[in-house]
Amino acid sequence: MSIETVFILAGFTSPIRLGTGPQSLLWMLPLIAAIAVVYKTTKLPKIKAGNFLKETVTLFVSIVIFIVITALILYAFDWLIIK
Amino acid sequence: MERVSREKHVLFLLITGLLAWLVPGSGYWLLKEKKRAIIIFAAILLTFCTGLYIGSIGVIDPVGAKPWYAAQIMNSPLVALLGKITAGGAYCVYGKPNEIGQIYTSISGLLNLLCIVNTVYLAHLCGIQAGKD
Repeated sequence: MSIETVFILAGFTSPIRLGTGPQSLLWMLPLIAAIAVVYKTTKLPKIKAGNFLKETVTLFVSIVIFIVITALILYAFDWLIIK
Repeated sequence: MERVSREKHVLFLLITGLLAWLVPGSGYWLLKEKKRAIIIFAAILLTFCTGLYIGSIGVIDPVGAKPWYAAQIMNSPLVALLGKITAGGAYCVYGKPNEIGQIYTSISGLLNLLCIVNTVYLAHLCGIQAGKD
């Protein structure tokens, strides 16, 4: 086994360092991308590059916008309760 | 005669479902949907590996996190091998990396479950189409 392979495998045996700040929310973006890709792959009748990309990006943006709106509503509730 | 054909159809659905579980996307490959197969394989494998990289293989915990493990095992039965390695508690992981790693690996498992169901449905439709022809 080459040394590079050992290093790559070793990367999977200890967790990475993650902060708890607001920027850690950005970890949702790759996951949303994966959900959009898999969902559209199962739903589209024919996979054509242009159409597939358009549909996937539309779903990705829709999910992100919905999450942002939900977060803003929850933040507004929180603000109202505290005030 | 019809019963034999029906049994064959059920066996075909079973094999398709099992194959789709064993290797994500392989069910589509069996149905000659190669583009779909490649996209599903890459997307699910990348999501699962990202989860493992973030939280380490310790996020697969068949003892302390059974509900998460149930979702993770939907990626492939091979996840059970990782579960055996981590069951002894040698790869404990806590906090944010654990949460995000578990979410990534479990969501990829649930996405594969969606693909398995979709593959079996497509195989069923193929069988009906072949029966008509």
